[in-house]
Amino acid sequence: MLPLRIALRFLKTSRVQSTLIIAGIAVGIAVQIFVGSLITSLQDSLVQQTIGSTSQVTITALDEGEPFVVDARVRNVAESDARVKPGAIAPTLSVNGLYSNGNESTPLALKGGDLKSLDAISSISKRITAGVARLGRGDILIGTDFAEKFTLSPGDSIRITFSGNKTRTLTIAGIFDLGSAAVNARQAFVNAEVPRSLLGWRTDEYAALEAQLLQPFDSAEVAATWRQQLPNLRVVEWQAQNADLLTALQSQGSSSYMIQAFVLIAVALGIASTLAISAVQKTRQIGILKAMGMGDAEAGRIFLWQAALLGVGGTLSGLALGFFLLWGFSFAGASFTITPKPTFIAFSAAVGIIVALLSSIIPIRKTSALDPIEVIQGG
Amino acid sequence: MAELLLRAENLEKVYGSGDTATHALKGVSFELAEGEFASIVGQSGSGKSTLLNMLGLLDTPTSGMIAYRGQDVSALAKPAQARLRNSLVGFVFQFHHLLPEFSVLENVLMPALIGGKPQVEAKQLAEETLALLGLEGLEDKGANQLSGGQKQRVAIARALMNRPALLLADEPTGNLDTTNTEQVYKLFRQVSAETGTAFLIVTHDRNVAQQTDRILEVLDGELVQDVRNDYAGAPAR
Repeated sequence: MLPLRIALRFLKTSRVQSTLIIAGIAVGIAVQIFVGSLITSLQDSLVQQTIGSTSQVTITALDEGEPFVVDARVRNVAESDARVKPGAIAPTLSVNGLYSNGNESTPLALKGGDLKSLDAISSISKRITAGVARLGRGDILIGTDFAEKFTLSPGDSIRITFSGNKTRTLTIAGIFDLGSAAVNARQAFVNAEVPRSLLGWRTDEYAALEAQLLQPFDSAEVAATWRQQLPNLRVVEWQAQNADLLTALQSQGSSSYMIQAFVLIAVALGIASTLAISAVQKTRQIGILKAMGMGDAEAGRIFLWQAALLGVGGTLSGLALGFFLLWGFSFAGASFTITPKPTFIAFSAAVGIIVALLSSIIPIRKTSALDPIEVIQGG
Repeated sequence: MAELLLRAENLEKVYGSGDTATHALKGVSFELAEGEFASIVGQSGSGKSTLLNMLGLLDTPTSGMIAYRGQDVSALAKPAQARLRNSLVGFVFQFHHLLPEFSVLENVLMPALIGGKPQVEAKQLAEETLALLGLEGLEDKGANQLSGGQKQRVAIARALMNRPALLLADEPTGNLDTTNTEQVYKLFRQVSAETGTAFLIVTHDRNVAQQTDRILEVLDGELVQDVRNDYAGAPAR
């Protein structure tokens, strides 16, 4: 362990230099953790907002709007797929209506189903901001934006007009916030009987079988499998319907990787240059140690240890600084919270240390190649 | 008759090639016995330091052979030479070459630690060696906190740390005043007597050489004189 002991002493006696490079690594790792976690959480939040409370893979009739029978065979295709979130399958009916308070009117999409199934897709019960989550035959759950626009509260009755001049009067049981203004303004949930009676469908007929997945990005593969199993039905998935969002997410991801890569390159160059300078500064000492019989490899290990110590010190400081930045961000009032992923943190830490170790290659080579006679003769 | 420690045979050192080639050593041969106290004298540039560096395995001869205790070491691989340098040879240079980042004790310990000696054993030996050179009490001082004479004595202690068979000294008192110079040579004598270490001291100062038992003279890369000195021990003028 002599090389470690010498490395520690070299670092200790060049305190300012060591502190600066540790700070440099720390800033690099902190930026890596902060930017990486920020972008990942932002993407998760965007994905969650877009598809977190809607269907990710949907089975419908080949002709959209037509009913199809949700029988055991169809249900089994979705339920037996391990990629589907357990229980997150909902047969639904949809009907579009128009609400008017006399002065102003707005279209309202009514989704009908039983509360338990709808909860599995949209978690409505958890997102009720006023009233209760209940879907009896005469109940309706409306969004916060819709309620605000028409100054509606739980207990109020609203009359909705449907095609064919049919109307229904429903009582507001609760008001939800699904995290998207568009959904909160246009979507409402009702008992399955409401659309069924309006459409005149049988009790086993539905407009869609909605499903949520454990990994939303598996949707394309899941849809492909289901299409093979259900050739007479249509299977749509969220990624095909949100190509623009996906492009935006991918671009954001790429720019995040670019930033992280360049920060790491800057860190690597910083460590490499500091170690190279240190190797030059310590040429005399290395020469003396070699004259006393220290081997080339052992002399090289002094700089490997220096790199490792700087890497570990800088990375640990970087982790602390990164978490401090994330904590600071929680006060920034953003619409989403950053949740650092342990695997990403571990990856960043490993990258920090590996980059530091790789940066020691040049000084190690220089040190190994040093001939002690050069130092001895030079005085 | 003492055992043979070192045999140098026809050592040559050539720098460069063709018309610009410089012959630093031209076929130097001699032998040194265990415990012998000898010096190499010569003008600056005569090749004496080159010879010393070769004997200390810091430099390699262009041709010729060096054998320690009968073993040819000139053809050994670098790691093996480094190990021999650590265990068999001690160096004292004109410049003390102490490591400024380490204390006196740590500097003296260094050759033992490089050689892989256990810490406790090495520390005890280092303290003994420091005592031998009258450096007690300075163990924890930084190498840069010492006077010139003290630094050179610490360098000598370090060179003796692994109890080498041969101590090679290249102008060891070149940077010291007369008093310190005398003290260093007295120490060399004392250490040689107490430890049985052979000494080979390079100097350009004949007064210094007069204090050794054998004087080898190098002139223009050749060994021109190799004499016993019966007046050794007489005070230098």
